[in-house]
Amino acid sequence: MKCVIGGSHLRVFGRAIHAIARISDEFWFDPNEKGLALRSVNSSRSAYACVFFSSMFFQHYCWTAEPELCRKKRQLPLMCKLVMKSVLPVFRCLNTLERNVEKCNIYTNVNECHITFKLFCKHGIVKTHNLAFHESEPLQAVFSRHMCPNVLKIQSRLLTDIMIHFPTCQEEVTVAVTPMKVCFKSYTEEEIDFSKTMHTKIHLNPDEFDYFQIGVDSEVTFCLKELRGLLAFAEATSATVSIHFDVSGKPIAFSIEDMMVEASFVLATLADIENRESSQQSLCLSQRQKRPTLMKAHAHNAENVSNNSADNDDNTETIASKKPCWTGRAHSNTESPVECSKPLSKGDIIPIISKKDVNLEVLDMSAAGDIKIVEEVEPSYSNQYKFHSLFFGAVSFKEQDVISHTLHSLATASDVEDDVDNEQLSQVV
Amino acid sequence: MRFRAKIVDVACLNHFTRVINTIAKLAKTCTLRLTVDKLYFILTDKVANGGVSMWCELSQGNFFDEFQMEGVAAEHNEIYLELTPENLSRALKTAQNAKTVKIKLTNKHCPCLTVAVELPSLSTSSRIVTHDIPVGVIPRRLWNDFREPSVPDFDVSIYLPVLKTMKSVVERMKNLSNCIVLEANLNGEMNLKIETDLVSVTTHFKGLGNPPWVSEDGSQSSTQDRDPESMAEARIDIRKLLQLLAGQQVNPTKALCNIVSKRIVHFILLHEEVSLQYFIPALA
Repeated sequence: MKCVIGGSHLRVFGRAIHAIARISDEFWFDPNEKGLALRSVNSSRSAYACVFFSSMFFQHYCWTAEPELCRKKRQLPLMCKLVMKSVLPVFRCLNTLERNVEKCNIYTNVNECHITFKLFCKHGIVKTHNLAFHESEPLQAVFSRHMCPNVLKIQSRLLTDIMIHFPTCQEEVTVAVTPMKVCFKSYTEEEIDFSKTMHTKIHLNPDEFDYFQIGVDSEVTFCLKELRGLLAFAEATSATVSIHFDVSGKPIAFSIEDMMVEASFVLATLADIENRESSQQSLCLSQRQKRPTLMKAHAHNAENVSNNSADNDDNTETIASKKPCWTGRAHSNTESPVECSKPLSKGDIIPIISKKDVNLEVLDMSAAGDIKIVEEVEPSYSNQYKFHSLFFGAVSFKEQDVISHTLHSLATASDVEDDVDNEQLSQVV
Repeated sequence: MRFRAKIVDVACLNHFTRVINTIAKLAKTCTLRLTVDKLYFILTDKVANGGVSMWCELSQGNFFDEFQMEGVAAEHNEIYLELTPENLSRALKTAQNAKTVKIKLTNKHCPCLTVAVELPSLSTSSRIVTHDIPVGVIPRRLWNDFREPSVPDFDVSIYLPVLKTMKSVVERMKNLSNCIVLEANLNGEMNLKIETDLVSVTTHFKGLGNPPWVSEDGSQSSTQDRDPESMAEARIDIRKLLQLLAGQQVNPTKALCNIVSKRIVHFILLHEEVSLQYFIPALA
């Protein structure tokens, strides 16, 4: 992969790196045909960030070394994970970057596991940074924004003005909405003494939003610290921030869309366990990886998998189809494997039910399409609240041992690639 | 017990915020005493505070447009609250362009000082930000602990040099030693000294002037008999001194200190609307 970022866009790119740095110490460098995505997930799997730069953003963008491959076949995806500590210094001082650097070339050297950042600066100075990466399949949150009943759109400047009232040490913030009003308030866990901490509340009029749609009254609590990265990025692009959310327990997504850049931060929200009815679904993430056997077995389902955009939120049908599969067992406490009648196709979201008393269940997968789902073991908390973590596509094709008491996420899952090439499957990764 | 106050003027809000910021730098928790005319921020000289004490007085009329207070009882028309000034400082920090700021005593799961900031917004109604700052109500039987400290029987009283200059001198000295000797005489001379095994540094200030004090009975103060050249000195913790100099945002019109030799240094920062007294005890 090779791309060139022009001087004027370097600032935006640098800001994206800074924003992602707030989420995690590592991130995936994930180029595809349409552009370059930078993805990151935090250590507790409760926050996901993705900044996607379309090919238009670059002065020059080429996804594969050999031009023919670009057109005909798919290239093997670059499974590249970079450490933030090594990348951040390259883009640390954005002001000097903008002033001195004329363009930045980024190219990958897969054989040697390097990504090279070459900054062409003024006065003929060229700075070359060779950063090693380690192989890792990129993960992405599968979250359908269309399904969210509550949608708010607000100017980034305004959103920053709101969040500024919370002290920098404030970790969690609750947003409470009704069709009449919006309120952002600081959140403190019940264990902490109320009589010690300061509480802040901000009441806003729906007029202040560019777009205000509340389908269901809700109160969701998310981590402000992680959001601040996006806010800083948004301010730089002075874009409108879209907020999509549902009831508590379901993730909240903050996104910015521009002609050339799309940024999206999906954060898990605190679930009120007491008020839970049936299945609570946490955010599901699927791995973007090849899944040849599945593809073979479910070639007929290939059509189900629609063209996956970077944020992959078009799997709504699959979500819906999966639901009936699981609600039945939401209340059950059995350990028997469940067979899903409808086979999974590529990019399917596996709803993961987290319930207090459900034990970890691991299901074996066979060619017929059983899905191996790994559920989280929840020790009984005296604390009523817990954060739902974003689960990664816990789908595996191999038989796996039952592993209890651990949070399982990754299993080798198939790619969520654009075109399904049924006849010619590249080798299994 | 009721308390409601409102600030509408931007300059007053600014000034009030600066006073609160100064208090926040000097004390982690302190006592707020409310009377009909004044607000007091008090820090008593308990061991927990390192022996320093503070007394800050504001005339409410200079800051608040509206001020209503009802004390615990008719004969004791005052309210004493224990609060963390840092919280108040934080609440006011982002309120600087507010239309109004209301402060009231409320009881939400615990007694709170609620700061309600009305901010201008693009929409028809203003944006309202409320901060609930938990406070502790101090019962009347403990009020005696918070009496105004009397001016000590000092040996020398002298005007301080320009606070900024004094601050930068003390800041540099802080790296060399934990204690600083502050000495002054009635000739308007002040020295700041540090002394360690390796180095001793002294900064001399001259021509500072000595404020005239008249004792209560009208007779000349005892300092008249003192040799004008003789220095009164006290060895104090340098960090406490720096806390005062670095934190202050009051920009006093008059700044002076009274030194009781080897006992205590009493700093007074005066402003038309605010007066701040700070006591630092001498180290053994």
